[in-house]
Amino acid sequence: MLIVATADRLITYFQAVVIGLLQGITELFPISSLGHAVILPKLLGWNLNQDKPYFLAFLVATHLATAIVLFLFFLPEWVRILRGLGRSLRDREIAPGDADARLAWLLVVGTIPAGLIGLLFEHKLRSLFANPKAAAVFLAVNGLILFAAEYLRRRAPGADERARELERAPQSETSPEAEKRLATLGFREAVGVGTAQAGALFPGISRAGITMGGSLFVGLTHEDAARYAFLLATPIIGAAALLKLPDLIGSGGDGVRLQALVGALCAGAAAWVSVKFLMRYFQSNTLTPFAVYCLFAGLAALLVFVF
Amino acid sequence: MRNDRLLAALAGLVGLALIAVGVIYIALNEHDIPSFFPGHVSHPASHHHVKHGIAAILLGLACLAFAWFRTGPRHRAVSRA
Repeated sequence: MLIVATADRLITYFQAVVIGLLQGITELFPISSLGHAVILPKLLGWNLNQDKPYFLAFLVATHLATAIVLFLFFLPEWVRILRGLGRSLRDREIAPGDADARLAWLLVVGTIPAGLIGLLFEHKLRSLFANPKAAAVFLAVNGLILFAAEYLRRRAPGADERARELERAPQSETSPEAEKRLATLGFREAVGVGTAQAGALFPGISRAGITMGGSLFVGLTHEDAARYAFLLATPIIGAAALLKLPDLIGSGGDGVRLQALVGALCAGAAAWVSVKFLMRYFQSNTLTPFAVYCLFAGLAALLVFVF
Repeated sequence: MRNDRLLAALAGLVGLALIAVGVIYIALNEHDIPSFFPGHVSHPASHHHVKHGIAAILLGLACLAFAWFRTGPRHRAVSRA
């Protein structure tokens, strides 16, 4: 059996593969990666101490892989967005009609609040709520949030007009056209949607789900909401992983680096397949199946943990 | 016009101050940072509040970006009009 490390540091290669695949899928599907990372090992009876440095180091690798895959998947978009950012800084204004520059700053103002909240409160929230029962409750709550997102779609002031306008606009799937549609968001809306990302600090609440819900609320289509959610998630997942990279490089990563590499490869592959699937899925489907799954999975897990 | 420039200057100053605060948080341990900084402890310590530092630098950069755009050509044109 492929078990590496001492009794205190126990991640088998099988566990690395499962957790890596789980991370790659659940980070991008609107069903909460953190919630599943807390609930599933407990359901499988794995004795993993998720507060120990070795496990945190392992998670850094899987998150970094997910962020890299997201960045590569949307590489043409990121190149245009970064060029737009550079143009706007050079000209000291966002030129009218420069969708790339506007989208760049929408992503910046959307990332700052969630980044700040995460930096200041992530550790406290994790230590308070990162237990299987709380995660199961929040997973069920995530289901309700996704239901609400579908119910409240286009309910924000001006959202219905935007949605009608976007429906009249060319529905090309090429990313420059999609960026133009995303760039119709206002800065206040971007701050609101971005701040909502901080909800993902609660294990069980999905970053992708809550961001998509906010985007649907202000009038974006499901496909554009998914694209915006993935673009918004990339810098924050990447930055969080880079910030904790010393955990993996330092002594915390001793004995789990190879498992972390295996987990990261699995997470990356799963993330690539997931984002490809979801971008196609949301062309014609809604959040409702994920809402049903989260509600029932959360309640079922809660029943298992309580009784 | 004066209000616009004042706001930009204020944002610039606050931005620079926040970046300085961020550097202090990262460079000094929690005992050596000024006592009015959140996170200061009176007993000797070796822990650095790196996350506080990054948060302050991010906010500072946001303030500087605001000041940069506030003094851009479009705002100058609007002010002149």
